[in-house]
Amino acid sequence: MATKDERYDKMAYEFIKVSITAYSITAIIGGLLAFSLFMFYPDFMKYMTRLFGPTMLAYALIFFAESASLYIYYYGWHAMHYGFLKWVHLTIGLVLNAVGTMLMFLANSWVTFMLSPGGVDAAGAFQGDIWKVIHNFLWNPINLHRFVANIAYGGSIVGAYAAYRFLSARNETEKAHYDWMGYTANLIAIGALLPLPFAGYWLTAEIYAYSQQMGITLMGGVFAWLFITQAVIIGALFLSANYYLWCGMERSPGAYRYTKYIKYIAGVIAVCFLVWFTPHTLILKPWELKTLGGQYHPFLGPLGIMPAKNTAVNNMLIFTFLSFLLYRRANKIPTVSWAAAGSAIQAAIFIAAILNIVYLGVYYGYFTNTVYKVASSVPQVASTLTVIISCMVIDVLMFKGAKDVGEFRWGKMPQRSQYALFLLAVSFTWLMGLMGFIRSAIRQHWHVYTVMRDNSLDAFTPTIGYAAKVVSIATVIFMAIVIFIFWLSQLSAKKQEDKSKLHPEVIPYEPAAKPLKPETETE
Amino acid sequence: MKIPKLLQFAVLVLIAYGIFKAPGWFGVPIPGSLIMMYMFFAVVTILLVMTSTEKSAQELFTPIKALVDDPSKAMTRNVVFAVIPIIGAVIVFNQVKPSFEAPVELRATHPAPPSTLRAFNKSFNIGTLENPMRKLAKEDPAKFKELVKEGGVVYYRNCFYCHGDKLDSKGHFAQGFNPLPLPFQGKDTIAQLQESFVFWRISTGGPGLPKESTPWLSSMPIWKDLLTEDEIWKAILFIYDYTGNVPRSWEK
Amino acid sequence: MKIFFRVIVFSVLTIVLYMLFATQYIPPINPAPPPKEEALNLGAMTMPQFIALGEKIFNGKGTCTLCHNPVVKRAPLLESVAVRANERLKDPRYKGKAKNPADYIEESMREPSAYVVAGFGVTGTNDTVSPMPVITAGAIGLNDVEVKAVVAYLLQLGGAEIPFEVPRGQPVAEKKEGQAAAPAKTGAEVVKKYGCGGCHKIAGEAGAIGPDLTKIGAKRNVEYLRRAVLDPDADIAQGFPGGMMPKDFGDKMTAGEFKLLVEFLAKSK
Repeated sequence: MATKDERYDKMAYEFIKVSITAYSITAIIGGLLAFSLFMFYPDFMKYMTRLFGPTMLAYALIFFAESASLYIYYYGWHAMHYGFLKWVHLTIGLVLNAVGTMLMFLANSWVTFMLSPGGVDAAGAFQGDIWKVIHNFLWNPINLHRFVANIAYGGSIVGAYAAYRFLSARNETEKAHYDWMGYTANLIAIGALLPLPFAGYWLTAEIYAYSQQMGITLMGGVFAWLFITQAVIIGALFLSANYYLWCGMERSPGAYRYTKYIKYIAGVIAVCFLVWFTPHTLILKPWELKTLGGQYHPFLGPLGIMPAKNTAVNNMLIFTFLSFLLYRRANKIPTVSWAAAGSAIQAAIFIAAILNIVYLGVYYGYFTNTVYKVASSVPQVASTLTVIISCMVIDVLMFKGAKDVGEFRWGKMPQRSQYALFLLAVSFTWLMGLMGFIRSAIRQHWHVYTVMRDNSLDAFTPTIGYAAKVVSIATVIFMAIVIFIFWLSQLSAKKQEDKSKLHPEVIPYEPAAKPLKPETETE
Repeated sequence: MKIPKLLQFAVLVLIAYGIFKAPGWFGVPIPGSLIMMYMFFAVVTILLVMTSTEKSAQELFTPIKALVDDPSKAMTRNVVFAVIPIIGAVIVFNQVKPSFEAPVELRATHPAPPSTLRAFNKSFNIGTLENPMRKLAKEDPAKFKELVKEGGVVYYRNCFYCHGDKLDSKGHFAQGFNPLPLPFQGKDTIAQLQESFVFWRISTGGPGLPKESTPWLSSMPIWKDLLTEDEIWKAILFIYDYTGNVPRSWEK
Repeated sequence: MKIFFRVIVFSVLTIVLYMLFATQYIPPINPAPPPKEEALNLGAMTMPQFIALGEKIFNGKGTCTLCHNPVVKRAPLLESVAVRANERLKDPRYKGKAKNPADYIEESMREPSAYVVAGFGVTGTNDTVSPMPVITAGAIGLNDVEVKAVVAYLLQLGGAEIPFEVPRGQPVAEKKEGQAAAPAKTGAEVVKKYGCGGCHKIAGEAGAIGPDLTKIGAKRNVEYLRRAVLDPDADIAQGFPGGMMPKDFGDKMTAGEFKLLVEFLAKSK
């Protein structure tokens, strides 16, 4: 937290300025959503208001607190810049984030109540304990999932902003600043993306635990293909994140030592990716069906099941981490005496983990009974985490006081690399919409699962294709709004720069979760 | 000699395509829909690697730029500009031209069986059903051999027209059906199934398949109307015995 | 401005690509429309049709096969439940009040914990609590006729006799509270419908949790009986703990049924 880097301060200020506009737009859209819900689903909303009345009031009040802390934080930026006041300011920043998280948790309880109602009887009558209604079965899994996802998402949006400013930068200083900003944002986004699958596993497991029916609808039924779509997009995210790291090596004069490995890393990631989205049930043309003699493919079939996917995704994570390690050492020459041994140990850890993951995947996947097929996933994840943590520790120790090969050049990034950041932001938005859809869709014909049925005449559960169209339109609208907000902030860009030159003092502030935007509800 | 980047790119793409197509030459084609996806990401990955450093990106794009800019390349330019639209036109034409192929369908070959099967005036619980004659393999090998032989007779009287005299699904009538009769040879066919599943499939035939195995219902007859219970079990013994497979047993 | 358009084109292309993938590549599968309540014409239904209805509910609306299937084995398989019911009824662990397989099956649907097959109980309860969800309300919400149809199907599946006729008369529309049946016509029916005999000794049944009601009319007046049903804890009979009897009978019963019940109790002398 106590980094003395002025750039963090500048980045935070730049973003809080953007957040002010984003905040008012969030409120407008939130109002729009609430009004439409009351208009189109009056009975449902009457029921929800009766149950959640107190929390809705609390929500409004906390929103006030959020507004107050946001405005004090923003307008007091320059007034509280030194000494003790700096710490007050920092505290307000933290309060802002805490209050924002609280708001999200409250809103989450409404959504999860619709999925897994608690604190009411079978007929939906309130049983007197509001905490039970809020703290329903899926509340915490969703809270965790959304909290982590918000960090990743916030990072990706900042990254896109930085990329745009990088592309339109007029001088080298600006370029260097936005390059650094994009890199940092990307690191936050990817860092938060890595644990997200595990949060997702937990959520899915809890959905299964709450209702088998819901779980089967989610994973095995009509929505199974949705997860192929998700796999494709997440694979694309990993590819582009790696690409950004590879391009980033251009910043280091010493990178030439490592660029030759890029193609092998890319090869492995590509193969893992292909395995990852190979579906179990293939779409076959009649002649293919005839040649194969059946739906199942002798060697693609085995790639379609869970152990293969787990093996692929863990290797993908490990090799993405390898890209990051190479990026880190691109400009450095270790000075410690045990450098060669350290590298050898790292290599050994990598090889051991990969062999272990592949062995576990193959053995448990194909040489044991069906019962044990998923038993491999936990030790596989453990191997991946071991690699990431142990190699990171060795790396940090090994490159302590390391010599630089040459001057590290922020801003020396090819323009095309910035599109990786745009891809990240767009993909996150789109994927969030799609996963929001599936979260709603597994309720099927229920407003509140098992308690309140959607009896409207035209009620139906959309197909994946239909949802994808709606999500695409929503993403375009969202992107348009984001562009509008960024454009607004650019209006005053020049003035702001003059101001900042007057205050070289530092305020350590790390951007945490971005202000929350209500997720689009797809009914 | 250094191979130009653009040529490298083309060669790599072709190699990738070859790898994905290769299984097709050995009779196990990767479906076209999947090759499309594979190729898309293979091309993207190759492009990403080739543009990951400024130098190699330059090398890759310079000839393309030159093709557009360089006055000395006017002839090549004209050829390329003529050929690319033609390739595009051919692809579009092939995509939209009417064909007699049946639409692509998702069909489960081995659908989940129902929990019970009603045949021969009783209910069979497919979840626990076992071949009553299987235990003889240990208890009375001579008798078992006899049963397998009888099963062979059942097979060659009824099944071999489609499933083939070598149980490889290349019977006389096989090519006339869609879906094709399934082979019993190989380790990944009936070896993966329990005998109860096979019993169910034989008993109810094509019409007994659930919805996920539609729309092209297999033309397998409803054998429970044509064979006795014992005959079916014997035929099952035979097809496992002949192909050297062991049925999957219930997990204990 | 050039950069702006480039970025826009790139972003929109990405979105379009995703959309094309999801709409063109992925096979379109339509989610099933919301299940409709079967419009039953019970008057014209034969027993085989009634059994077929039960099978349909068993595999469909009832969602029974999600757990009662041989692949996942989350719950016991039910193919021979009709045969095994007789053993179950004799089992000392059996807590229900069924006398024959048909009642046993119906009871196990309505009160799954009455007998939990070894190994299928909620973890940590030593097979005394069943994990089976409520099937007469909530997401599954079978009405009485549907429950009966499933019973008939399961009996037939195990090859047992079906001791009842196809219920005649229209099924009552799904009620929120999940208890749905035609109003009872006599006091004894009311007693049966609301399961009074589960706790009380009454109308030929011999529950032992609550007071004996066979001669209650001799001791208590109508006013007392009325109150005892609506507000059971207002007066507690000697020797019995309070707070045991459900307090919602007043909400569940129709006014007519309540009247019949009180009359029935008052006449029990």
